[in-house]
Amino acid sequence: MAAHDAEIAGHLPGLAADEVAWRTLAFARGGETLEVAVPALDEAQVARLAAHVRAAACRLRERPVGAIAAAIDLAVARLLDRSDPWRRKAERLLPLVTGYDAEMVRLGLTSYLKTFRRPQLQTFLVEDFGNPLVLDDFQPIPKGGFARAFGPGLLLHVWAGNVPGLPLWSLVSGLLVKAGTVGKLPSAEPLFAGWFARILAEVDPDLADCLAVVWWKGGDRGGDEAQERAWLAQADTVLAYGGTEALDAIRRRLPVTTRFLPYGHRISFAMVARSALDTGKAQAVAGRAAWDVMRYDQQGCYSPQTIFVERGGRVSPRDFAGYLAGELAGLEIRHPRRALSLEEAGSVAAWRHAEETKGFADPGRTLLGDPAGAWSVACVDGPGGGLGEAALAPCGLNRTVTVVALDRLEDAVLGLVPYRAFLQTAGIAAAPEELFRLSGLLGGAGVTRVCALGRMTAPEAGWHHDGRFNLLDLVTLTEIEHSAEQAADDFARYAD
Amino acid sequence: MDVSDARTSEARLIDELLAFIASGDIEGIGDDAFNRLALRVFAHQFDHNAPYRRFAVQRGRTPRTVRSWREVPAVPISAFKDLTLSCRPPEECERVFMTSGTTRGVRGKSHHPTLAVYDRSMTANFARRFMPADPGRPDQRQARLRMGILFPTEEAMPNSSLAHYLALALREFGTSDSRHFIGDGGLDVAAVTAELERAERDGEPYALLGASYGFVHLMDALRALGRRFSLPAGSRILDTGGFKGQSRELEPDEFYECLSAFFGVPRSACINMYGMTELSTQFYDDGNAVCPSVKSGPHWIRSRLINPLTGEEVPDGAVGVLVHHDLAHFNCASAILTEDAGIAAGGRFRLLGRADGADAKGCSMAVEEFLKAARP
Repeated sequence: MAAHDAEIAGHLPGLAADEVAWRTLAFARGGETLEVAVPALDEAQVARLAAHVRAAACRLRERPVGAIAAAIDLAVARLLDRSDPWRRKAERLLPLVTGYDAEMVRLGLTSYLKTFRRPQLQTFLVEDFGNPLVLDDFQPIPKGGFARAFGPGLLLHVWAGNVPGLPLWSLVSGLLVKAGTVGKLPSAEPLFAGWFARILAEVDPDLADCLAVVWWKGGDRGGDEAQERAWLAQADTVLAYGGTEALDAIRRRLPVTTRFLPYGHRISFAMVARSALDTGKAQAVAGRAAWDVMRYDQQGCYSPQTIFVERGGRVSPRDFAGYLAGELAGLEIRHPRRALSLEEAGSVAAWRHAEETKGFADPGRTLLGDPAGAWSVACVDGPGGGLGEAALAPCGLNRTVTVVALDRLEDAVLGLVPYRAFLQTAGIAAAPEELFRLSGLLGGAGVTRVCALGRMTAPEAGWHHDGRFNLLDLVTLTEIEHSAEQAADDFARYAD
Repeated sequence: MDVSDARTSEARLIDELLAFIASGDIEGIGDDAFNRLALRVFAHQFDHNAPYRRFAVQRGRTPRTVRSWREVPAVPISAFKDLTLSCRPPEECERVFMTSGTTRGVRGKSHHPTLAVYDRSMTANFARRFMPADPGRPDQRQARLRMGILFPTEEAMPNSSLAHYLALALREFGTSDSRHFIGDGGLDVAAVTAELERAERDGEPYALLGASYGFVHLMDALRALGRRFSLPAGSRILDTGGFKGQSRELEPDEFYECLSAFFGVPRSACINMYGMTELSTQFYDDGNAVCPSVKSGPHWIRSRLINPLTGEEVPDGAVGVLVHHDLAHFNCASAILTEDAGIAAGGRFRLLGRADGADAKGCSMAVEEFLKAARP
């Protein structure tokens, strides 16, 4: 066993390391081990840290948002530079902690971090504010008067999951609106957010002072409920990722005056139209769909779990499933699936068993892929036209996917209705007029993001996560009404 | 194969099973005898249970090719929800046990043409595992104990295998003044406390049996009343089934610590039974002084721990998913693949809990959560 040096997670401005209690999270994979020390704060320390971050964030209000974007850009540039020690550490340790293929992590980090460079941050800002100067000072507004946007004094992020770097999305959003920021590390990937905070401390100590990265054990059984309650009581706004139950548990503990922005688990799917199924194109389309399935082993909310394929093209849905299987087999060689926990293996096996069982009664169902292999494709090509039984359904994750044959892609829309609240991305391969027609139907059913196949797991800069406004949702507006301005004129030194 | 063939095959099999159950304890039974009967049961199920036959053929396993009970294809328990796995037509069956359907809203079914084998399996095993006069002397048994059952009656829940199990325990091993404490009005706390006070006064060993969550409800009620008991020496507790969202969730150590504190029964006399609707035989531990305890069953059931993807057995000490091979479950499928994780310990196992991916690592929606969301 090769043991890496222990990592210290988190970022606690104003608290000395030796006054804090530390716990250890241990990771081991393929003969390598890593211990990560995570802070366990008591209630008094929570209060001190919260006060420190709040005070620093007050000073942040005086800085132009452009300068904050420039500082984030500097930190992101460090992480994009493959010779930088932080980047090298990330490439070395994130595969060990998460189990994902190292090359996939490397490629994923680069493409993800590119969405946080300065021009992309400007896109973020303009997407939500039109005039980002509204974050710096009062700006004239169309109805008359002036408005200025203020971020929360203390924004608590509750991060979850093991997709490397995921916390960056909301963390950057908070910094851009000048919020005092406290983020809770996910136990499954407790490193990245803390590293980012410490890089920020190197390139811009004032900005990093407005940011704390903490940890507590979550969950109802054996969780650090005292620390969780203390943080929930401190926050003005809570932004949380997680499953329905975890989010509900947080909501129930929040004071009614605290804004709550939950980002729950989502389900995504792909659609392949007849027009994309001619013999020259179908293989490439299958390759891009396989890429989306492979990336992060379907752990992302944007990962496809079902692929609806239209009948009547040169390549049949069943043949498309075969292409997809071939592409997944190829990707397994280049980017092997990570070792699964027993629970995950159990989910895959249960999904495969259920598909097999249904196949006894329905000859239109086939299952491709070896039980012990690292991918599976189920194909449902029944006479029912894909409705009912074949409607959208989660697969077993970790590179398992269902191809559902339909006479017309819009036949899928009815089956989406019960899951409106959980839909997210639809990756579509179709001709332009079909793309827009389908997008209208899907948007009406609750889908919030339509993208190309092959891009499902890489949302573009300025993406409105789950259809919401990443920045605008965080701020409150202070308006100076026209009357105030007019009345002030009476009291001016130069009043007649 | 006509109907009379099926009946004849079944009748012969039942006789053999009853004889096998009666034939003594684990040590006396070699692998050969178990194997012979397992192959007989597999052939019966292959011949008379059409969905199981399709499943086995699809796995390339038929009575011609299978030589060892380990090769008999194990049906995933989820299949009991989608398929009718019964050798006898369901309408001819004396009893159907159903799962609670807590996860999917669909209930898995196990059909029993007769309860003779189930009952013999239960009583022979229960006598050995729950009725010893003293835990150190399994050969000396109590004939009967005064019992309190923290579960509804069999009449109230005719499709519950646990209700039947507990009714059987009460009928075969309870004294005449044993009784149920859950009726139409729910848990009768006043009646339980009166009964436990009486047991303390009488000094006769007392047995409390029920669902694990029933004990949590009772202890919560006793805490509110500020009551604790110190049951006489030789008293014992049997809990089963876990909490299933019906009560607070407790870690095993905390649960048995509380049982011991509230009822004055040492943790070593708190027995956990592990059973399933999809089986006709139960597993027990020898008390819960240490958790997770080691579970074992009688000589007509065997368990393996496998990697759920490859189906290969994991080595002793490694975590795997449990496969049970219960000869007494002769009418459905004797080999079942569970969703329970365990650690192999020399033919016995430590039970760890569900291995269903509920602790998903990512933010993509998993099956369980999706099904809950879709339920009205």
